[in-house]
Amino acid sequence: MIFRNTPVRWGAVSQLLHWLIVALIAVQVTLGLIGLELPLGMEKLAALARHKSIGITILALAAIRLLWRWMNPTPALPGNLLPIERFLARFTHAGLYVLLFALPLTGWIMSSARGFPVSWFNLMQLPNLVSKSGTLYHAMIEVHATLAIALGLILALHIAGALKHHFVLKDDTLRRMLPGCAPAADRSVAAADSPRKSC
Amino acid sequence: MPAFRAASALTLLTAVSVPASAHAGGRAIPYTLLHAHSSLTYTFTQAGAANHGRFNTFAVRFDPAAGRLAVVVDMRSFDTGDSQRNRILGGKDFFDVAQYPQARFTARRLIRTAHGYRAVGALTLRGITRTVVIPFTWRTADIDGREVGLLTGRTTIRRLAFGIGQGQWHSTEWVGNAVTLRYALELLPARGR
Ligand code: HEM
Ligand code: HEM
Repeated sequence: MIFRNTPVRWGAVSQLLHWLIVALIAVQVTLGLIGLELPLGMEKLAALARHKSIGITILALAAIRLLWRWMNPTPALPGNLLPIERFLARFTHAGLYVLLFALPLTGWIMSSARGFPVSWFNLMQLPNLVSKSGTLYHAMIEVHATLAIALGLILALHIAGALKHHFVLKDDTLRRMLPGCAPAADRSVAAADSPRKSC
Repeated sequence: MPAFRAASALTLLTAVSVPASAHAGGRAIPYTLLHAHSSLTYTFTQAGAANHGRFNTFAVRFDPAAGRLAVVVDMRSFDTGDSQRNRILGGKDFFDVAQYPQARFTARRLIRTAHGYRAVGALTLRGITRTVVIPFTWRTADIDGREVGLLTGRTTIRRLAFGIGQGQWHSTEWVGNAVTLRYALELLPARGR
């Protein structure tokens, strides 16, 4: 197992961060929607408290992920892409990174503006980002919800892209984000490129 | 609504039956609340974070010489800064203000401490009475030419001991049991006893 990225493959750390965040986002959206539906009461309080804790976790993981990306080579996009596909890949990836920060931050601002301080799993109380304001709270609910919808749309593109690479173009784009060996074609490139094996 | 508050505080005061002190003049006088400058707040834990609330209407009668302290709180006057949460807190499962509109503390004994007193007495909240000890500092000061008594302190009570948190709210997982009360009162020598 290699931890760092190579020019052709995502390392274990990048992979772990990618799929951990995927799993947390799934839980996160579910909890957000549950929180939205429930009437005011303990279940809503519990769902939203977990939603906030996991959201803050995603924020921290996103920061680590960007830092790690900056400290590592980024595997080049596959060479078989049209300019428009290249643009779409860059645009969706950048958009996803922006949302990984913007969603938790708007949620945190929303909670602060409502006057409900945020705690991380009952272990640590976080500072309020803004002071109490009804106007800001209502604006942030809208922004948070809109960003969540944007996340859904961009993710649809992102997943469609990943599946197209795998099933239509039959290249290694999806595989290089998954644990295990890259196929022979990829391995020979990797071997030429770095003295270590790609898996 | 300062006028309203003052009026309802007065109504409350009539409910505080502190016998007039036998001592007259000097320091041996009872004090009543200077409402506009006083605060009675509480801090509770909601989902792991400290949240605050306050009572806007309450009456206090303090007579150090006679060893008396009496407080009546209009439970309908609380505010946690969030209208939805206020509706839940005022409802049956928490304060149940319709059924129990008043809370009161009546000291049985004042114990002198270095900077004030510890008042041992009965706290009635949501219809349940328990003995509690309320510590506070006490000093008198000259503010704008008049004598003012400053009573400050805090104490922690357990909400469940008073039935605050019925049904699912009996659980302390999302709303903590410990509630810290903070009081910073400005008291004036009572007149016209
Ligand atoms: C990647 C992170 C996040 C995602 C994907 C996300 C997503 C969502 C979704 C889908 C909803 C329900 C839809 C809606 O309200 O319109 C929601 C609601 C909510 N989110 Fe988030 N959220 C995230 C982070 C956070 C964080 C970090 C906080 C607070 C610290 C937060 C606070 C809230 C609150 C309070 C609501 C309920 C709003 C209401 O009262 O209706 N969220 N979130
Ligand atoms: C919450 C869901 C997701 C988020 C936030 C997310 C985010 C991202 C981001 C930001 C990148 C770019 C990495 C970089 O350039 O540093 C990426 C790459 C990738 N994602 Fe996702 N992703 C999600 C879900 C998925 C899913 C469900 C799949 C598979 C069906 C997937 C497959 C991939 C693949 C294969 C790459 C690598 C692309 C390449 O090698 O150039 N992602 N993801």
